[in-house]
Amino acid sequence: MNKNLFVILVLTLVVASCSSVSPGGYYWGNYSYTYHDLVKNPSTDSRAKHQETLRNIISESNELNLRVPPGIHAELGNLLAFDQQNEAAIAEFNKEMNVYPESKVFIERLLSGITQGGEK
Amino acid sequence: MKYKSIALLTLMLIIAGCAEIETKMQAYPKMYSPSEKPVSMLVVPVVNKSTAADAPDLINSTLTVPFADNGYYVMPISIVSDIFKREGITEGSQILGLPAGVFKKNFGADSVLYITINAWDTNYVVLAANVTVGMSYVLVSTEDNSVLWSYDQQIVVDTSQGQSSGLILLDIISTAITTAITDYIPIARQVNATAVATMPYGKYHPMVGQDGDMEVVLKSSREKALEQSN
Repeated sequence: MNKNLFVILVLTLVVASCSSVSPGGYYWGNYSYTYHDLVKNPSTDSRAKHQETLRNIISESNELNLRVPPGIHAELGNLLAFDQQNEAAIAEFNKEMNVYPESKVFIERLLSGITQGGEK
Repeated sequence: MKYKSIALLTLMLIIAGCAEIETKMQAYPKMYSPSEKPVSMLVVPVVNKSTAADAPDLINSTLTVPFADNGYYVMPISIVSDIFKREGITEGSQILGLPAGVFKKNFGADSVLYITINAWDTNYVVLAANVTVGMSYVLVSTEDNSVLWSYDQQIVVDTSQGQSSGLILLDIISTAITTAITDYIPIARQVNATAVATMPYGKYHPMVGQDGDMEVVLKSSREKALEQSN
């Protein structure tokens, strides 16, 4: 009986420490907040902050062994393309397509935007 | 006292009996058909019928999370809305006439999510404040324009803090301050979450295909969303 209690306690602790993982099994970090900031006040600062959120989501997801949520690699790629970091942007777009094959048509559109001198 | 509670219970049962509840499968059969079930979802600009100009941005920044969590590939809203802006489309009403197939061709999306904000009102009462948010969601197939999922949701959220300072004027001011912009993100999340709870799980959800028996769809809300979006 005591053993059971211990197991339950440990399980609760494990679940509690993973509480940053959403019900669908993703890690979203600060996503909604920095995204909203970016939309409301587009600036170098808000873009940098959102980029930081996206990178944090990717690294945390990898650490927790979770699939990176839909759109995160693509959004990071888009911010990098905005900063003319085309190679890094293309790499992120390709990652999005690998994780989510259904994004192919959309990502190819973004990729052709870069090679043609940038969809801003 | 006992009679009162029995009467109350009976009344609640009667009310509950009047609201027709459907299972997810009954309400949204296409979402369980292997050939019609969408994987990807394109969120088009929101139609805003409320007086709150900030509401669409708030809703947009809180949509990806619940729909992705429900198992769908949500096309990155930030990039998609930029593309629409470049085409001169900033308000959802500008594209209402377009056949959904256009979005299959241009974005490769299986489905399009149309959202209408029907109400977004803040009410200040002396010691409290609340926000009424009403939204309708309609998910349409890009194959044949048919409706895959629809839901109308209205919630009232109390945004005032629990404690009172004892000074009425001070409380009014602090209530107004606490209903600041970032506090609306949790509200927007709450509205989305209640609506998404009725949507069948998608490909990336561990329980995809196993939720057909869940009795969570209020028939009147499913039908109301279709009227609202017209």
